[in-house]
Amino acid sequence: MLDQIWFPLYLTFWIALVSSLLVLCSGVIIAYIFARRDFRGKKLLEVLITLPLVLPPTVIGYLLILLMGKNGFIGHMIYNVLGTGIMFTWQAAVIAAYTVSLPLMVRTAQAAIEAVDKELEYAAYILGRSEIETALVITLPLAKRGILAGLVLSFARSIGEFGATLMLAGNIQGKTNTMSISIYNAFQSGNDELAKVLVLILILMSLLAIALTGRFVGKLEA
Amino acid sequence: MSVKIDITKRYNKAEIDGKKSTKKSFMLDVNFEMENELVVLFGPSGSGKTTFFKCISGIIEPDNGIITVESNVYYDKDKKINLPIQKRNLGYVFQNDTLFPHMNVRKNIECGLKGWEKESKEKRFMEMLDLLHIEELETRYPSQLSGGQKQRVALARALAPKPEILLLDEPFSALDTEIRTKLAKKIKTLQNKIRIPLLFITHNLEEAFLLASKILVLHEGKAQQFGTPEEIFYNPQNRHVAEIFGLSNIFDDAYVKEHDEESKSTILESGSMQITVKYLNCKVRDKVCWGIHPENITLLSPDSGSEDQNENLYLAFINSIINKGPKKRITLKLVRHKKILNVEVPAQFVDSLKLHASDSCLVKLEMSKVVAFYCF
Repeated sequence: MLDQIWFPLYLTFWIALVSSLLVLCSGVIIAYIFARRDFRGKKLLEVLITLPLVLPPTVIGYLLILLMGKNGFIGHMIYNVLGTGIMFTWQAAVIAAYTVSLPLMVRTAQAAIEAVDKELEYAAYILGRSEIETALVITLPLAKRGILAGLVLSFARSIGEFGATLMLAGNIQGKTNTMSISIYNAFQSGNDELAKVLVLILILMSLLAIALTGRFVGKLEA
Repeated sequence: MSVKIDITKRYNKAEIDGKKSTKKSFMLDVNFEMENELVVLFGPSGSGKTTFFKCISGIIEPDNGIITVESNVYYDKDKKINLPIQKRNLGYVFQNDTLFPHMNVRKNIECGLKGWEKESKEKRFMEMLDLLHIEELETRYPSQLSGGQKQRVALARALAPKPEILLLDEPFSALDTEIRTKLAKKIKTLQNKIRIPLLFITHNLEEAFLLASKILVLHEGKAQQFGTPEEIFYNPQNRHVAEIFGLSNIFDDAYVKEHDEESKSTILESGSMQITVKYLNCKVRDKVCWGIHPENITLLSPDSGSEDQNENLYLAFINSIINKGPKKRITLKLVRHKKILNVEVPAQFVDSLKLHASDSCLVKLEMSKVVAFYCF
């Protein structure tokens, strides 16, 4: 039974970690651009990135299959380069987790960046600092708490991801069975004991995430 | 000329009318030149002072014109030059506190010294601490500083990279009067030391007089007058300037009766009243305004003479006396001309002359103190 807990736990953590790192890097850049730039099509792009927050995960999974499958636009390119598809691998699970958790990061970080007084940035420009330097030295450090809160939310969302992962990465024992999927499997196969343990672990992890965000967001408002 | 600015820029100002907030559009239109001196930008809020600073610093782009500082062209519409903010070598202290809250005083000041050699950086930092007397604040964070200390650090930060022009946007508006006056004096001595052009925004008349070698008066975006404080105070170009400079007792029913070349004076007729003012560069029969500051009116006891319009001496009736602490505000009515004048005099003076409401007295309007100008 230990083996049946250990692999999903490890896999879930690994997927959440990789996904969160990607979300952190890309999400902060997207949030900064949304907060500080105006361009044509910005509203549309904002809606597009926020969409996974409201769409059913199975719909997201289906759309991702259209995009990532062998005949999909991106999937085809990947197949040409790697000689193999990424459907039904842990990488596919990362893509699913990334897609559903990115909007949480972008929304939280964007609000935090928008709250940074623009005059502070102008003051830095006048002192000769470039925009990138100013973003790294002034804006992002001052939006730090919002970004950390976004990161914790994204991480928690990745850990709990089920629908889109199931569609894109499947349910392959020892390969793509994350915690959420293993709970479903255990329940289906009548292994109540295992289901209970896995549920307990996920509840504890979620509580931890809430406690962490509570701390960050609380400090942000204070 | 070390600074030459001639720009126009359309800008919006939100006006709150009852509960509705409407946007009104104005044209910023400023053209002036200055040397290494301290020029105060003076005008009511919404007159475009901050917009003007943002144009100089490059935060916003003017619609038209040129901005040059020393030999550097910051902006030239015709030559399509618009230097990025970072390339303009200027110091800017904002109205609000813009110290970086997550950096201590040292880090804040050194922010503008990137790329300096370690030794010269340290030397410059020490010079700044010394110049603004903030040695003991080096390791503190902005949240641990008082309002006055913050603005001194902000000044140090702005001056550290050796700017060629310094812009100060109401830097002391959030401070108590006492600290405010102290820091204003500090700016005055600083200007003598650093010898760069310094532009200072304020809407506090006292501060403007204390600091300015020259004042540029703005009203609804337009530069109205540029000159020394005394020049503007006694020779405002129009009613806007006169009112911005606190002139009350303004009468707009006057016209030029005649000029007296010999005594360098001009005689105005204002209703039934005749008044002699300093020589006014206007044609006879031109319509003009005249006025006098409440502090500049002389009151005399009624026994000391009788009305003599050639001497600007009028008989008046005291309507009311209001106590304003060390001063008293007296409202008078000129008996023969039905004109109301507000006078401000030291309380002690009223007591010693034993003036009371409904008494009469003589009013003397010193020729040199009477201000006359085209109304608009």
